[in-house]
Amino acid sequence: MIALIAQRVVQAIIVLFVVSVLAFVLSTQIGDPVASILGLQATPADRLELGARLGLDQPWPARYLTFVGNVLQGEFGVSYITQRPVSELIIERLPATFELAGVALLFSLGVGLPMGIYAAIRRGHWSADAILSLSVVGVSVPTFVIAILLIFFFSVTLGWLPSFGRGQVVQVGWWTTGLLTPSGLRSLIMPAAALAVSQVALVARLVRAEMIEVLRADYIRFARARGLKPRVIHLSLALRNTLIPVITVSGIQLGFLFAFAVVAEAVFQWPGIGLLFLQALGSTDVPVISAILLLTAVFFVAINTIVDLLYAVVDPRLRAGGMTGRPAGA
Amino acid sequence: MLKRTLMGAAAALALTAGMASAENLRFAGATPALTMDPHATNDFTTTAIFRQVYDSLIGLSLDMELTPALATEWDYIGDNTWRFTIREGVQFHDGSELTAEDVAFSIMRQKDSRFYRSLFGGIQEAQVVDATTVDVISAGPDPILPRKMSRMFILSQAWSEANDVVEIPDLGAEGAEAHSIRNAMGTGPMRLLSHDPSVETRFEVFADYWDELPGNVTTATYLNIGSGPTRVAALLSGEVDMVVDLPLQDIGRIESAPGYTIAEAPQMLWMQLELDGTRDQALETFDRAGNPLAENPFRDTRVRQAIAHAVDADLIADRVMRGKARVVGISSIPGFGGYQEDLDQRWETDVDRARELLAEAGYPDGFVTTMNCPLERYVNTDDICRAVASMLARVGIDVRVNGLVWPEFARMLVNGPDSSFHLIGMGPDSRDTQDAFTGYVMTRDPDANEGFFNWALYTNPEIDDLTRTLTTTFDEEEREGLYRDLLERARDGVNAVYLHQPMIVWGMRGGVTAPIRSDATVTLQNVVVE
Repeated sequence: MIALIAQRVVQAIIVLFVVSVLAFVLSTQIGDPVASILGLQATPADRLELGARLGLDQPWPARYLTFVGNVLQGEFGVSYITQRPVSELIIERLPATFELAGVALLFSLGVGLPMGIYAAIRRGHWSADAILSLSVVGVSVPTFVIAILLIFFFSVTLGWLPSFGRGQVVQVGWWTTGLLTPSGLRSLIMPAAALAVSQVALVARLVRAEMIEVLRADYIRFARARGLKPRVIHLSLALRNTLIPVITVSGIQLGFLFAFAVVAEAVFQWPGIGLLFLQALGSTDVPVISAILLLTAVFFVAINTIVDLLYAVVDPRLRAGGMTGRPAGA
Repeated sequence: MLKRTLMGAAAALALTAGMASAENLRFAGATPALTMDPHATNDFTTTAIFRQVYDSLIGLSLDMELTPALATEWDYIGDNTWRFTIREGVQFHDGSELTAEDVAFSIMRQKDSRFYRSLFGGIQEAQVVDATTVDVISAGPDPILPRKMSRMFILSQAWSEANDVVEIPDLGAEGAEAHSIRNAMGTGPMRLLSHDPSVETRFEVFADYWDELPGNVTTATYLNIGSGPTRVAALLSGEVDMVVDLPLQDIGRIESAPGYTIAEAPQMLWMQLELDGTRDQALETFDRAGNPLAENPFRDTRVRQAIAHAVDADLIADRVMRGKARVVGISSIPGFGGYQEDLDQRWETDVDRARELLAEAGYPDGFVTTMNCPLERYVNTDDICRAVASMLARVGIDVRVNGLVWPEFARMLVNGPDSSFHLIGMGPDSRDTQDAFTGYVMTRDPDANEGFFNWALYTNPEIDDLTRTLTTTFDEEEREGLYRDLLERARDGVNAVYLHQPMIVWGMRGGVTAPIRSDATVTLQNVVVE
């Protein structure tokens, strides 16, 4: 077990190293931060001076080492454009993205789970096929299209929900939450729904496949033979075993929702990490870009590592051999 | 004097009437206001926001003419010195009185800003002469300094000292955020309540403002909504009262929606095509067989004229810009010092004439070239470039459009310039025709601070000499003659192929009246909300 943990942690560090190098090289390729900051009017002397101040005159490996050194000390630098510490910007924005991703996950489970169960129980029936087809549509329509349709229907036509922003937020320590005010909750509905739509299909199909598998198992047959009610068989016996892979997949989904919230955030002007990233990209704000890429990588790697380790806990066969027995879904 | 008092009383009445109804204005734009420190950026969206809080030394009327503001008078007194008389009885938002020291302090602070080198780099010193007089001494004669001073923002010296922001917050500096980024202490018509760059900037009317407040807005909020469709939706759903960056494709929709109105004004910027005037061989330019040309075709005035005649700016303004553009015929625009309306006639679109000129210049079969095209920053550049390419194809010039995102495009210019043919927006900072020539038309010599933005290296020694004369001439009549001479020479020699001024378009709900100004500032003190 200890060997497995060590192996996973080493792998995680390698992945983080590669991602951080890529993030860094990428941020040197997207333009000239000095030109972005000073515009076209700066004199060559000003540009050189600012370049030197920002350390841009050094080769990128040297700058990378400085960057990593600072990150290890918890120092992400100062945003070129807003002139505020990057760590402060990110801490300000994190709660918005976490709440959005969390609620979107709840939405996708809340809708996807019943859909999947129904499709499994009524397998072959036209209504089950319809549900599956509908879920494919959900995956196929891009998030921003869904988002804009939602806005025009619920904000412009009906006037029920706000089209942008987080509404009123409440400060709980350093965390700002929109979950405690009516306007905050109303603001959350559309972005979370838009983000959740593509994930609903994933959950529904996973649940259906797992459930069909479970329904074939011997203990379900015996339960049927005992004459238990179908409701009890499906919801208490079969569902419980179906949920194990669903829970692990949800963890990974949270990572995806966190990273892909950027589209929903851009359309709904949701003041989260994704919007910050887009704004930074548009203005070549290298410290912000690097920090967010690294943060997202850390988040993904952490979730994957935890999921891998959880699998090992659940399934003793994995403890010795490593990856071989890992289900495809994870 | 009596008239003034009466007007003041009327304004006070109007103000109290307005206060009673406590009108709130929520307006949204595409880009965030980056900082409240007026000397730490020259981004035009941000300037339009902090202008509410900070007055400029010299004001701007709604049609962009200079008006007395914190300075009531300004005179050139010789020896490269302008004398400014400071208005008495002006209060900062904390109730302290504006002094000549505050003005001198602000001038010295802003002149050192990297962002204002081209405007204020020439200022050497601001001297307090007495309680209401400040002398500004430049390194050389500067006849257009007053116009530049409409971008000089005055802040409180005592406040800056108390909050440790005497120096402009520096980029790449370690440590905490500077106080002036999210706080402000100016004399403007609105007081800053809060500034959160990612969400909103809130203002409250400053009742002790030195000037009239013709509008009735008591509180206002600027919201940043980046996505165009969302911004329009927020306006249509009533969540905001006004949108200051209306996407071109949605203008019709807002105009036709009952109860909504739009306002438009030409932006202080014009688009133009710039052609290599110096290199012996133009970059990325070949004959039809793909061999490099013996000469740089763009150096031949006939080729430049041919391109000017071939590109139909009216059609671009009409179709690509959906009519939301004003065609430009000289190297100056209305609202600029030295603009000459009667000269503002663009070259006629004449494809046959263009072909003749090309044949005369020795390119009867045309040639093949590459046009660098910035993909964002200006409106619809992608479509403009493609339209230009197809118009030039009609006269035998095959243009490959090389689209570049703005940071890449900027890098190509500032690190080179490495472009022989490109589209760019031209917006001289000082808003004087003189600056168009010193910055954009003179032969490029950054060390002498001449032709700094002349990215395609156009050169004409006569224009250089005349421009140098202009920069040292204070006599109004003489200046007028020089302006006319320069504008004509530049147009005849096609220093660049002028296209159009894009329009700023605002959309507002019924009951909101906001006079538009070409620098894109919502002058909140003039806004009426019903």
